[in-house]
Amino acid sequence: MKNKSYLILIFIFLSIIITAVPAFAHKVNIFACVEGNEVYTESYFNDGKKCIHSKIEVFNDKEIKLTEGLTDDKGIFIFNTPESTYLKIVLTASAGHRAEYILELGDSGEDLLDSEIETKEIIPEEILNENIAFYISKNEISLLINEALDKKLTPILREIKKSQEDDISFSEIIGGIGYIFGIFGIIAYFLSRKK
Amino acid sequence: MHISEGILSAPVLVVEAGLTAAAVSYAIKKMDYKQMSKVAILSSTFFVASFIHIPIGLSSVHLILNGIIGILLGWSAFPAILVALTFQAVLFQFGGLTSLGVNTFNMAFPAIISFYLFHRGIKGKNHLKALIFAFACGFLAVMFSAVLTAMALSFTGEVFIKIAKLILVTHLPVMFVEGILTSFCIGFLRKVRPEIFEI
Repeated sequence: MKNKSYLILIFIFLSIIITAVPAFAHKVNIFACVEGNEVYTESYFNDGKKCIHSKIEVFNDKEIKLTEGLTDDKGIFIFNTPESTYLKIVLTASAGHRAEYILELGDSGEDLLDSEIETKEIIPEEILNENIAFYISKNEISLLINEALDKKLTPILREIKKSQEDDISFSEIIGGIGYIFGIFGIIAYFLSRKK
Repeated sequence: MHISEGILSAPVLVVEAGLTAAAVSYAIKKMDYKQMSKVAILSSTFFVASFIHIPIGLSSVHLILNGIIGILLGWSAFPAILVALTFQAVLFQFGGLTSLGVNTFNMAFPAIISFYLFHRGIKGKNHLKALIFAFACGFLAVMFSAVLTAMALSFTGEVFIKIAKLILVTHLPVMFVEGILTSFCIGFLRKVRPEIFEI
């Protein structure tokens, strides 16, 4: 009986340690993308919590501050695209957490990482009156679709890449502990058979 | 203090892996299957403790707990730490699989050394002396681990004195925290379940 009670005590001790773990896995992220002539930024902690009322500063490549502000209740901060091709967006959240996001813009303010849209050739008047579909080959359609998808997916892909941070979940830890008990249980079984 | 893949040179990895293999096989021969629940719990504690980060300056360090693991397990600390490190490497990519031997030796060898140095004092009659020995055990086990890690890194080209100083300084808070933690745990176990110290 005493065996069980001390095992339970140690297990409670362990569970207390485990619940303390998520608080220490802190890291902040900021994500930014261009929408029209505004820059949309979103700031959040590694565990998904939003950074509320945190300071955002925007610098150019010469470290001159272009603009600054605070994130709103959803961690979002939007500002008009400044006159610079290089934007360093710095987030300062509580207790010394800091994150940066670099945006490199083209001349007309669009995000350079998005693929360029090719200029379409001008279709003459006579053809415009007929069914245009005959004059757009399958290749052109797939090209257009690919370009549109690239433009939409690039910010999402970047977001996915960034969100593959080391986020240690409670269930993974419990799984690891289960594996450990399993391994030692097997070892115990074989050792007991030897006797 | 987990060394990741691709940092250490092959001779260091092979030598320490060999030492770890020898120690683990010796420990398993000596192991009593009745002790297995203790070994498993302490292995899980080590597993979880590595995720408790203490932010120091620009980086962060984590708890090791090899002091108390050494006192309670003796030689079984080697398989306990090996199993925990294996699952950390496999599930969380924390540390590495090629550096498994190195990491195990660096953390388990100080554990067994602490056992031989301090276990008589900790099991003795004087409670205050046991607490002081427990603090020293937790403190020195981390320090010795830091020195072994610095040695392993120095054989791969780092300058030993510089890297040793860096690791020791950043782990100083860990040493104090673990000393206090070991002291509390040993004090508690002496009162509640002194039989746990029998190996």
